[in-house]
Amino acid sequence: MAGPERDPLLPTHWFNILHDRPQYVASALPRARLAGLENTAGHGLLLQQPFSLARQSFNTADRLIPIPDEVLDLYAQYRPTPLRRAVRLEERLDVNARIYYKYEGANLTGSHKLNTALAQAYYYARAGVKHIVTGTAAGQWGTALAYACQLMNLSCTVFMVRATLQQKPIRGDMMRLFGAVVYESPSDLTDVGRRVLKEDPAATGTQAVANAEALALAAEDGESRFAVGSGENSVLLHQTVIGQEAVSQMAQLNEFPDCVIACMGAGSNFGGVALPLLGAAEDRQRPLRLVAVESAACPKLTRGRYRYDLSDALGTTPITKVYSLGSTYVPPPVYAGGLRHHSAGPLCSAMYADGSLEAMAIDQQTSFRAGMLFCETEGILPAPESAHAVAGMIDVLSRHPREEDPLIVLVNISGHGLLDLAAYQRFAAGEIEPVTVDESSLSRSLSALEEFNQRITQPAEAV
Amino acid sequence: MPAEVNGDVAVRPELNRSQARSLVFAALAVVIRGLKVEAVDEQQELYSDLGMDSLAFAQLLVELEGRLNVQLLDEDLLTIELVNVADLIDLVESILLSPEK
Repeated sequence: MAGPERDPLLPTHWFNILHDRPQYVASALPRARLAGLENTAGHGLLLQQPFSLARQSFNTADRLIPIPDEVLDLYAQYRPTPLRRAVRLEERLDVNARIYYKYEGANLTGSHKLNTALAQAYYYARAGVKHIVTGTAAGQWGTALAYACQLMNLSCTVFMVRATLQQKPIRGDMMRLFGAVVYESPSDLTDVGRRVLKEDPAATGTQAVANAEALALAAEDGESRFAVGSGENSVLLHQTVIGQEAVSQMAQLNEFPDCVIACMGAGSNFGGVALPLLGAAEDRQRPLRLVAVESAACPKLTRGRYRYDLSDALGTTPITKVYSLGSTYVPPPVYAGGLRHHSAGPLCSAMYADGSLEAMAIDQQTSFRAGMLFCETEGILPAPESAHAVAGMIDVLSRHPREEDPLIVLVNISGHGLLDLAAYQRFAAGEIEPVTVDESSLSRSLSALEEFNQRITQPAEAV
Repeated sequence: MPAEVNGDVAVRPELNRSQARSLVFAALAVVIRGLKVEAVDEQQELYSDLGMDSLAFAQLLVELEGRLNVQLLDEDLLTIELVNVADLIDLVESILLSPEK
């Protein structure tokens, strides 16, 4: 059966930054010094991901990687996504700038996460997996994966962070509509969930715990596998359709951005828009400023440390070098659940470490104000995560001198906020307070992170 | 077993277990930082003794793909579970002896 007609602007390849910057390939640190391994004799090594996906995370040979036809047909149902000039926002802000935005919220699942969910579900199904298990924070990833699994005839189980599932239960409804089984995390279904609940029956949950629960369930049978929605190089790769379209769409307008701005959870929407533009800027030998906007409640870049860390609470995920607040940090339950992950992914962390990107932290109240303004002026209600990007952009523009050339900015609106109306309503009613870090949790977590690094890195680094 | 030949380098009939062992040890040395290959024996476990995880395992398979000049297939690899170095050498041997070659 013929697929939908493909728009000429729909990229046929993903853009692979590892070709230009092979130093960003993440290496796992040997776990030999990790406590607890004494009792793991006989433990087998198993690939969690299909090898095609794993290979993408290490590929330094190809700048462009072909998108499978089956995935392209599905992309063609909602891509290319719109790129617009935010003229009314420019007028309202009265800034010396031309503002462009890319909008990823118009697909059924409401966010950019579908770009990698479709690709991952395709590769898992082709490899013979029958059931995918995942953890989700704000629910955009879980929703996208549930839908993609339905399209690929895969079963799907989602552990969703309790704080966000309680804030927006409709996210759970959407996942169930697509056939997924949804659990609130922490749950009493897994050892790690039971342990967290025993320590604190009212625990709000974190992405690290949700991922740990998903990993534990996936390990129970041979036909189930864990999947992840951000951070890994292959996930960022799939998101590069966003930035590649933006390069073409801006070229049609005879424009190229001076500055690209996106919010930062673990890095997939940021990388998706920024990496192809970085490649295009280098091809054109022109400078490009990249700004990652994180939540002030979870400031992994601006207050985190570049250390080896795990991405789940169970301790089974690879140990990679990332900007992290420590995997035991419990951020306050802000509405931007997608920005609550304790660490940035290895690739974006390496970019921050070498100065390729800037970071800023925005508090919840400021982000909602920016989201409301964007809605009033541009007719799109951004997701709370994307509202952070808008707020960051306003901050950048406010510092741009009037006497200079107008700043051309591109901001990625990674999803819509139509399932976050209760949060926006609370903001409008003056009930949202600025939320910053939980200092005591952060202090404990950073100490644990340092202790973990002393334990595992010294012997390895000394070799 | 899991292989599509990428060009004509491929398999030499005389390639035996000791050559498979050399390939595996060379790949392990690339993937595991600071590994002293001369101290590794076939019974050592990949996870418990060498500290490998799924990321290092994937990286090792990519390294072996390059050295063997083959393309490993998702459906063949997803179900394999390797415990020790000897299992890994067996895997490489089975790739080398694959009839597709």
